Amino acid sequence: MTHLKFLSVGPMVSVQDAGRFGALEYGVAASGPMDRSAFFRAGYLLEKAGAPVGLAGFECGGGELEFSVHGGDVRAAFCGGKFTLHINAKSAKWNKVHTLKDADVVKISPGKSGNYAIVRMEQGIDVAQIIGSQSTNMIAKLGGIGGRPLEGGDIVKLKPSGDRFVRGPVFDVAEGPIRVVWGVHGDLFPKEVRQRFLDSKFVVSSAMDRMGVRLMDRHGVFLMPPKLSLVSDTIVPGDIQILGDGTPVVLMRDHQPTGGYPRIATIISVDIDRFAQYRAGTKVNFVSVSVEHAHELFRQGSFK
Amino acid sequence: MGTVVRSLEKDRKKLGDFRPVLVPLGDCGLSVRFANELDGQANQLAVAAAHLLGNADLQGVTEICPSLVSVFIRYDPLKTSFLSLSNHVRMAIISQDFSLVQSTRTHEVEISYGGRDGPDLEFVAAELMLGKDEFVVRHNGAGLRVLAVGFAPGFVYCGLHKPEMHIPRRKELHRMVPAGSIIFAAGQTAITASNGPTGWHVIGRTNFRNFNAQNSPPTKMRAGDPVIFSGVMAK
Repeated sequence: MTHLKFLSVGPMVSVQDAGRFGALEYGVAASGPMDRSAFFRAGYLLEKAGAPVGLAGFECGGGELEFSVHGGDVRAAFCGGKFTLHINAKSAKWNKVHTLKDADVVKISPGKSGNYAIVRMEQGIDVAQIIGSQSTNMIAKLGGIGGRPLEGGDIVKLKPSGDRFVRGPVFDVAEGPIRVVWGVHGDLFPKEVRQRFLDSKFVVSSAMDRMGVRLMDRHGVFLMPPKLSLVSDTIVPGDIQILGDGTPVVLMRDHQPTGGYPRIATIISVDIDRFAQYRAGTKVNFVSVSVEHAHELFRQGSFK
Repeated sequence: MGTVVRSLEKDRKKLGDFRPVLVPLGDCGLSVRFANELDGQANQLAVAAAHLLGNADLQGVTEICPSLVSVFIRYDPLKTSFLSLSNHVRMAIISQDFSLVQSTRTHEVEISYGGRDGPDLEFVAAELMLGKDEFVVRHNGAGLRVLAVGFAPGFVYCGLHKPEMHIPRRKELHRMVPAGSIIFAAGQTAITASNGPTGWHVIGRTNFRNFNAQNSPPTKMRAGDPVIFSGVMAK
């Protein structure tokens, strides 16, 4: 049986499938890939290559990932951001399917852009389904390999996934402001604060993980955060919450299931994958759109 | 048109004074909000509405989850729109009798109160001008329900306590409290399911564990279930 031996592993490598949807009522967020578009694109690349598609793959968040292949060949698609890929120390193309042979050594390193790389293979990963999914939730410490990120020395068995293949949209948006819809608490922020939120540039800070991304508010838009006592409510990925000290935090895939901080806006589905790939120091500005417009953009996503 | 409006007005009575507000939560979510503040009746409506909406088989809906005073509905924008879903949600809840949805799965949770298990009990009792034992008696006799599951896997909010048992959150965080801590603030008692920080008062501890990822379903308690606390002061 094919298995992978992890040689050198950066700090945030995890098993992810399309996500653990339907578990909010147990207090568990859906998790799933930070860049869902990249995850689905990798699936479609395998499909186009005539290969089956494993339900779960690996997400490599920052740092390097080196693994070797044992016990048989396996076709693998590499997507997400612009990473550098080497197979047996020879440079190989990103965003492409490669056939990995027995004893091949694969190395992924940060490249020109992006935080999260996806490796999907023609086989899935032989780990248990936890509440209907193999995705690792790093905050709740469940799913994947004992709920933890991968470590050097891990040996992970692959397993054919059968013909179940979750199809999801690939959103190809290169440039432009990040689009948001006003959040559940949008109307609790004064009008001029909302306007300044749209007029100001924020900077992605280095405090980012699968749970959330802190933004630097250099123009002091939220210098006087609203003093509100809110009833804790369901969170969705992309929610921009304002902490008590005025720090804006974009909640990501491993978000807490509920939260009580005011949320001014929510990044729309077609832009959250792109946002997840922004490195520290990236300047971001937001533009508000209607839910209907967000849906029009959603429908333009590719399912192949 | 006149008749339609009148019949809507009539139906609203089943919701009492609560007129749910439907707001988008991102572009794949809809929140049905019954109140802006924590309110026992709004909570019961939210829990019941989640149940009714779950049975309504709404097109494009992929997940329904009740919170403290709202219901979250996740949907697929390829299969429905916010407007269409909002209409279906309204129709599904205004025509229903909420009082029929009532959980009878009662959970008894044994608590070791005070001492090392509940370092804030003394403070809480004093703030409420009760003796420690009197506080425990009242806490045991509270007759609460699970208001919501949230914040962390299996973490439950139980409530609501009577107004005379309300106390604000702590001024300083407890850096780390163990799973099974009984925490108390803002008219509620919560049971922690994992180790972590809290701004609530720690009044006791239980061996009850609500969450086990291996089980199906993974939580024993669900929103709406009655909860009875029992137990005595830690030695």
